[in-house]
Amino acid sequence: MGAHLARRYLGEAEAEPDPLRMPSFPPALGLPQRRERASVATAEQLAAARLPLEQRDYCAHRLVALLRCQRDAFPRVPRCRPQRHAWDACQHRDYVMRMKEFERERRLLQRRKRLLEQQAAAE
Amino acid sequence: MMAAAGARRVLWQRAAAQLRAGVAAAPRGARAASDLPKELMPGPYPRTPEERAAAAKKYNMRVEDYEPYPDDGFGYGDYPKLPNRSLHERDPWYQWDQQDMRHNWGEPMHWDFDMYIRNRVDTSPTPVPWHTMRKHFLIFLTTMLIMFGVGEMYPSYRPVGPKQYPFNDLYLERGGDPNKEPPVVKHYEI
Repeated sequence: MGAHLARRYLGEAEAEPDPLRMPSFPPALGLPQRRERASVATAEQLAAARLPLEQRDYCAHRLVALLRCQRDAFPRVPRCRPQRHAWDACQHRDYVMRMKEFERERRLLQRRKRLLEQQAAAE
Repeated sequence: MMAAAGARRVLWQRAAAQLRAGVAAAPRGARAASDLPKELMPGPYPRTPEERAAAAKKYNMRVEDYEPYPDDGFGYGDYPKLPNRSLHERDPWYQWDQQDMRHNWGEPMHWDFDMYIRNRVDTSPTPVPWHTMRKHFLIFLTTMLIMFGVGEMYPSYRPVGPKQYPFNDLYLERGGDPNKEPPVVKHYEI
């Protein structure tokens, strides 16, 4: 960890993604059939569960199930391990998606840089 | 009955007489600490060398050590100006007459002696010189501030994209106007 920081701050900054300005390419570029992400729970359900805003992501339905299980099973907390695992697995998949987005952005930036160099060499 | 009361009165009077005799048996020149004669009380600022010598003798000090407070209207009189050192700096192993106050009988007391007791102000020298301490502190503080500034200019982050939120990035939940059209934000699977 840190190679991307070294590349960004000390080396080529035009081929490294800036996480504050992501994504900078159209979503369908290079991936023709992308499915839209949809939240399983509705906004009203998440508001009824009174979740903090940081936790109202695409895994919020798993979290609501976990909280409901904990409320019903207290004090037998180990009974909610399957729900806890389901929520953790969903968060893990979400994190892997973020990593893939970063890598896609990086490869597209490198491709753009390569094309510009080829253009400049052709002149 | 009357005879017994009379006998008890006589006994009381005899005990009081013995008590007075005991007090009178104290050595000559002894007096209570509250019974200070006028010559031993602090007096006005000494003007002549004779007055200075008398004041030094009164305070049990040598004439060359005696230095009164300057006469600038603060009412110190001829009280000696002793160095502003707290009792922490006095030898803890020496057998003082008053060990807790680290004070010998008859020694001149500081004007602010109640401030310089061992529970209060401590004027002991620091183990390291003051300028060294200040220099080290400023070096540390400057380094920390510079590093915090560098961290603000060049933040460190994980190589992941930002977290994605549904419902147009939680437009309504974050206080967006429900009457207006929210800016459409779509996220895709990858």
